Amino acid sequence: MTKRIEAMLDDILNKRHHKYRQHIDSAVFTQFTRELFLKGLSDTERSVKRLAFVLELEKPVVFPEEKIAFMRTVPKIPEIFTDKEWSDIKAKHFIHEQGKVCNISPNYGRTIKLGLDARREEVIQYLETAEDGEVRQFYRSVLDTIDIVLSFVDRYAQEARRVGNTEVAEILNRVPRYGAVTFNEALQSFRVLHYILWASFNYHNTIGRFDQYMFPYLKADLDSGHLNYDQAFELLEEFFLTFNRDSDLYPGIQQGDNGQSMVLGGVDSEGKDASNILTEMCLKASLEMNLIDPKINLRVNKDTGQEMFELGTRLTKQGLGFPQYSNDDIVIPGLVEKGYSLEDARNYVVAACWEFIIPGVGMDIPNIGALAYADIVDKTLRYALEESKSFDGFMDRVKDEIFSWADIETNKFGNIYMEPSPMMSLLMDGCISSGKDISHGSRYNNYGLHGTGISTAADSLAAIKRYIFEEKLLTAEELIKAIDANYVGYEDILQKLKYEAPKMGNDDDYVDDIAKELMETFAKALVGKTNERGGCYRAGTGSAMFYVWHAKDLGATPDGRRKGEFLSANYAPSLNAKTKGPVSIIRSFAKPDLIKTINGGPLTLEIHDTVFKGEDSISKVATFVKHFMDMGGHQLQINSVNRDKLLDAQKNPDMYKNLIVRVWGWSGYFVELDKEYQDHIIQRVELSI
Amino acid sequence: MSTGMIFDIIEFAVHDGPGIRKTVFFKGCPLRCNWCHNPESQSFEKEVMVIKGRRSDCGMKYEATALAEELLKGKEILEKSRGGITISGGEPLAQPAFLLELIEALKPVHIALDTSGYAPNRIFKSVTEGVDLVLFDIKHTDPVVHKRVTGVDNRLILENLEYLCSTDKEFYVRIPLIPGINDTMKNMEKIAELIKGARGLTKVDILPYHKTAGAKYPMIGKKYKPLFDIDRSPKVYLEPFKKYNIRSEVM
Ligand code: SF4
Repeated sequence: MTKRIEAMLDDILNKRHHKYRQHIDSAVFTQFTRELFLKGLSDTERSVKRLAFVLELEKPVVFPEEKIAFMRTVPKIPEIFTDKEWSDIKAKHFIHEQGKVCNISPNYGRTIKLGLDARREEVIQYLETAEDGEVRQFYRSVLDTIDIVLSFVDRYAQEARRVGNTEVAEILNRVPRYGAVTFNEALQSFRVLHYILWASFNYHNTIGRFDQYMFPYLKADLDSGHLNYDQAFELLEEFFLTFNRDSDLYPGIQQGDNGQSMVLGGVDSEGKDASNILTEMCLKASLEMNLIDPKINLRVNKDTGQEMFELGTRLTKQGLGFPQYSNDDIVIPGLVEKGYSLEDARNYVVAACWEFIIPGVGMDIPNIGALAYADIVDKTLRYALEESKSFDGFMDRVKDEIFSWADIETNKFGNIYMEPSPMMSLLMDGCISSGKDISHGSRYNNYGLHGTGISTAADSLAAIKRYIFEEKLLTAEELIKAIDANYVGYEDILQKLKYEAPKMGNDDDYVDDIAKELMETFAKALVGKTNERGGCYRAGTGSAMFYVWHAKDLGATPDGRRKGEFLSANYAPSLNAKTKGPVSIIRSFAKPDLIKTINGGPLTLEIHDTVFKGEDSISKVATFVKHFMDMGGHQLQINSVNRDKLLDAQKNPDMYKNLIVRVWGWSGYFVELDKEYQDHIIQRVELSI
Repeated sequence: MSTGMIFDIIEFAVHDGPGIRKTVFFKGCPLRCNWCHNPESQSFEKEVMVIKGRRSDCGMKYEATALAEELLKGKEILEKSRGGITISGGEPLAQPAFLLELIEALKPVHIALDTSGYAPNRIFKSVTEGVDLVLFDIKHTDPVVHKRVTGVDNRLILENLEYLCSTDKEFYVRIPLIPGINDTMKNMEKIAELIKGARGLTKVDILPYHKTAGAKYPMIGKKYKPLFDIDRSPKVYLEPFKKYNIRSEVM
């Protein structure tokens, strides 16, 4: 790390850049929203006005030593609807999360390459021949957006000149107005586009396949000698820092949940491994920066070399909770099975956490709902356990219940509404040619459903199979009484269920086969179901925050879990289960046909940090990761953890300000998390291997 | 068919030899090292362990072939990483018939034996012939100190070490470094003297004492009575090994 980067990193870690933040009375924002309402503007017009308003409020800040500018000083983005308007909209429409376009992956590459001037020409051409009033309004909104952006960039260029940073001033005179030529220009152009998305109140704006769309600029500079490797690396590190400047201002459930996922490696449109020198540079930059953004995802396949896995493992060792690996050999066929074209599937990236989406053409909502497996088991056992003559008979009832759940769930999302986003539309393929805002959909409009608590459900069913149907130790009635009493007065039963029953994660077919069946059923129940946009439904293995939410509502479960105890995050053994070790875990979790449940959601493993000690342990862990993929694993994320450290951090948060942990699909600063998330992580770590 | 007693199997052991390994711990040990961090490994009988108020059995009886089958489950990753199985304890050599049968049943997977070296020469010889790697623990070269801190004389151990040094069998020396007990320059020098020039020696692993060593004693109803200051870090001397070009690593 150069001195210059070190100083910039230090500023960010010590939040010195926060002093440029403006204190703006919230009345200013409400007043703005009110005016939009009074003027009776359409939602599209309001979106444009909002961007103009925010950027007018912004005060450009350029540091003399930086090469990539742009920083937020306005702490908040106003709404475009008054509270009253919004509740009226909500009454009529399904609203996903905050009702904004979010969690998708724009095609930055195209605009970086062509420049906004050329994009403007393109829009004007379409406007010339458009007749439909709404379409014309859409095009005008995009043109206005481009103008607003360019004049804001001009203000930044002036500020750069004023502080004597002529390099940045000159770059901003060229990009994003014109197509980028150099690596520095391309990075600056990205920074502007990404910044504008956040300022447009889009969120979870992912980064996509950075090592693919940025590679030509890097290569040109290296080939021509415009940059040498070290200079390029320094620029890249500075670029990585920019993701951490404003991230605390982005919306998210917890600090750190901001969706800045970068995807590296993977295959090209022909199916050949496409990793390049930038892939490696990004992994190294992330290692040196040791920051939570950007969040690194590494696409691997059967041709990925050991060195790439080792680079990834070095990053894991650092304790950031990434990279998260995904397996092209499983994900691509899985997406094709769901109707994606092979070429698009090969271009997949991850959304904010881990859902697989397609950059530029995917308006999927991959986290619209979730199947809570353990709830299904609980519900079914109450009406069907007693009358079931065999375990298979009971299992059939559970499957029926999943099918009925799917019928109900997939009917919940009718008449969806999202605020339009001219800026995001500009960056998504096909919106300009079709004259349709991205909020109305794109090539892919599929909805994804998470699957939470698979291990709790499979363990519960295995316990039922063994103790009710095989050993006849318990009757259905007794079991229901015991769970309703939260096992108070049933401690002996609890002991058996919790410690002696088979648990998923031990490479034991007895329970793993049950999990496999449940997941197959989930996938089958969604086949043929379509949403109002013509998209399909995808079954997943993730949990997001549902693992905490579901756990709160769910009573005690037949696997010996008491009410209120957490479910495991994502695709992982139950927190209740002491497993034989990581090899058994990956063997258990690779058994289901993961091609069928490819919405996303990683197997999450906690490995004690002592395992990473010594040089050759890096290659051992790397081999372990590769092994999971070879067995048909889809996605994997490993945390290197140390329980003592976490407990100490809870007690002395001031001493652990930079301690980073993985929460569900993203990494965050441990001390900034709510206590319940901290406790969940500590509990997970107790089971680490 | 002989049966034996083990107390644990650890998957994904990365510090017990090359590659990824599964390590099986035999139950029962003739030594009583004062710092032993696995007190449940000492008795040859099943014991009850109480962990956070919950009682559980410690000790599993296995037939050699059944144990081999369990250990070889998922062996692909062991092979892929050029790892294998490590047999540790307790003292595996204290259950010789079972051990020999197990080794035969495990082959051709790479097998490492982790031993205190305390066993009759005949047994040591026949077992080491059957394994690919020996992890040989050396605690102290001085017989009086050895007796005081481990409960046994070190004559057998030194004889077996001498034999091992005379063969081509690959081995690592492992030294648990205990503050105030064996962390002296003199002890290291003597150890280096004993193993210098051994053809099969790959390296010396130094394992500094860890404060959590006493954690399991109360779980099996024993008292941890260290004869040394557990808060003091042991001293590390690598010079004597460097002198003879012996690779050494602090783990
Ligand atoms: S030789 Fe090992 S198992 Fe036996 S008492 Fe000593 S430290 Fe414990």
